[in-house]
Amino acid sequence: MELAKTHSEVRIAGAKLPPITLPTNCPGCGVGLDPEVLRKHTYVCDCGHHFRLGADAWIALVADRGSWKERWGDVRSHDLLNWKVPKSYQSTIDQLAEDGLNEAVRTGTCTLGGRAIWLAAFDFRFIGGTLSIVAGERLARGMEQAAASGLPYLLVSASGGARMQEGVLALMQMAKVNAAVGRVHAAGVPFFSVLTDPTFGGTAASLALLADINIAEPGAAIGFTGPRVIKQATYADLPAGFQSAEFQLARGQVDIVVSRTELRRLLVHLLEMYP
Amino acid sequence: MTRHGRRPEATTLTVWQVVELARHANRPYSLDYIRRLAPDFIELHGDRLSADDPALVGGVGTWHGRTTVFLGHQKGRSLKERVARNWGMMHPEGYRKAIRLANHAAKFGFPIISLIDTPGAYPGAGAEERGIAAAIAKAIMDWFRIPVPIVAAVIGEGGSGGALGMGVADRVIMLENSIYSVASPEAAASIVWRDNSRKVEAAEQLQLTSRDLLAMGVVEEVVTEPEGGAHLDFDAAARALDEALVRHLQPLLAQPAPDLLQHRYERFRYIDSLIHAEPHFGPKID
Repeated sequence: MELAKTHSEVRIAGAKLPPITLPTNCPGCGVGLDPEVLRKHTYVCDCGHHFRLGADAWIALVADRGSWKERWGDVRSHDLLNWKVPKSYQSTIDQLAEDGLNEAVRTGTCTLGGRAIWLAAFDFRFIGGTLSIVAGERLARGMEQAAASGLPYLLVSASGGARMQEGVLALMQMAKVNAAVGRVHAAGVPFFSVLTDPTFGGTAASLALLADINIAEPGAAIGFTGPRVIKQATYADLPAGFQSAEFQLARGQVDIVVSRTELRRLLVHLLEMYP
Repeated sequence: MTRHGRRPEATTLTVWQVVELARHANRPYSLDYIRRLAPDFIELHGDRLSADDPALVGGVGTWHGRTTVFLGHQKGRSLKERVARNWGMMHPEGYRKAIRLANHAAKFGFPIISLIDTPGAYPGAGAEERGIAAAIAKAIMDWFRIPVPIVAAVIGEGGSGGALGMGVADRVIMLENSIYSVASPEAAASIVWRDNSRKVEAAEQLQLTSRDLLAMGVVEEVVTEPEGGAHLDFDAAARALDEALVRHLQPLLAQPAPDLLQHRYERFRYIDSLIHAEPHFGPKID
């Protein structure tokens, strides 16, 4: 893939990425990790291993520095099913809020290479990036506004699926969000989806694979049913690389597999091609 | 909250007993209802791409004088049939067949009745290889642009995304002893406890009974089953379902397509709006 030379100066990240929790050695190649070096390299090891990023890091990576305007950050989840065991849902949410995490999806507007866009990023650290009522509401509102305003919609997913603790209302978010995806498409607004490790269940089976262009990070696990459940249910032996980004590329679900270090340049270029 | 506020009598069943009734081996399945609703039902097969999914039956029948497209998950009665029907668990081909038949209905202006009865989409390698996630996703999105009336009824198990892929409709109703859940109790227990033997506790917390869903505003009506459950009297269960379907479909037939689609959008867009008014749902079954 040759991108226009004018984009060669596009930085690999919009802003300095926040520190993330890293193991001492790379799970890909075993080399000892230097957090500062990795941070400058968007947390991609030289061996190609991509470390998982939270929503804050994705916003820093994608958005031009200082351009991020978060929306509906004050809409918070609460325990509506009175979910108590094995752990109270309310205390889980409260603890995550204390840790500075704000829901499994954050959304807002920013510029990317100077172009105004809507951005939504999942955060796997928040209950496995699960689709909740608040996550669904933020996604649907953003997409409705993108459809109305014509701004391109960029999604970065990392999610285990629908959130069990919100019951069938979490399931219904798939329909709510997909209805809004339909509006984005009907409006002729570009929708790009970046699938990161892992994207499963109700998130894969709703908006994440419905974009105009589905982009996956190398090695990301993407599928509907997780490998543990497939093995439990069918006693199948799953081959290495099953449900990887490359597997999904070969089976026609993903358009492009691209290293995170090249992602921003690709997105800037795409935004120029899809006015 | 419901336009037709028929509420079944309070029951003394536990949540798990309801789950077992929803899965009862003698419970009427989609074809048992469809053949009673439309005795001239003609089954139509195939997704026109690669295969026919026997876990989903689809076709046309005359229902109250009107050609209607019927879709329904089909479980098997005998072990052999269960295997052939894959226990009502659809593969990607099934969702593509459903949308193919929905487009068929749209071409001729036929209303659609979708009967939901599945533990979930098939959790196997073949389904993954052929793109089950995207098939469900696309089906859910496509239902929102099918310009004919759609009524969905959960007649047994409404399991997860596999059920929702067939459950985007203008009205959704549930038989009294059916369930509808974000995941099967076993799957939820496996996810939350990492132990699927905690299924009873999971079922109790998930709020998956018909009355829970009515209280949450997720379904429009709970259809009362014959005394003791639908499995004891197929004809009476089919009559009750028939009456409810007529009640819900009739007003939709008069709606212009743009209104229909706008209302369908709003039905799901604001499906969780009750939580603002009522933070804790009830009533619980005890």
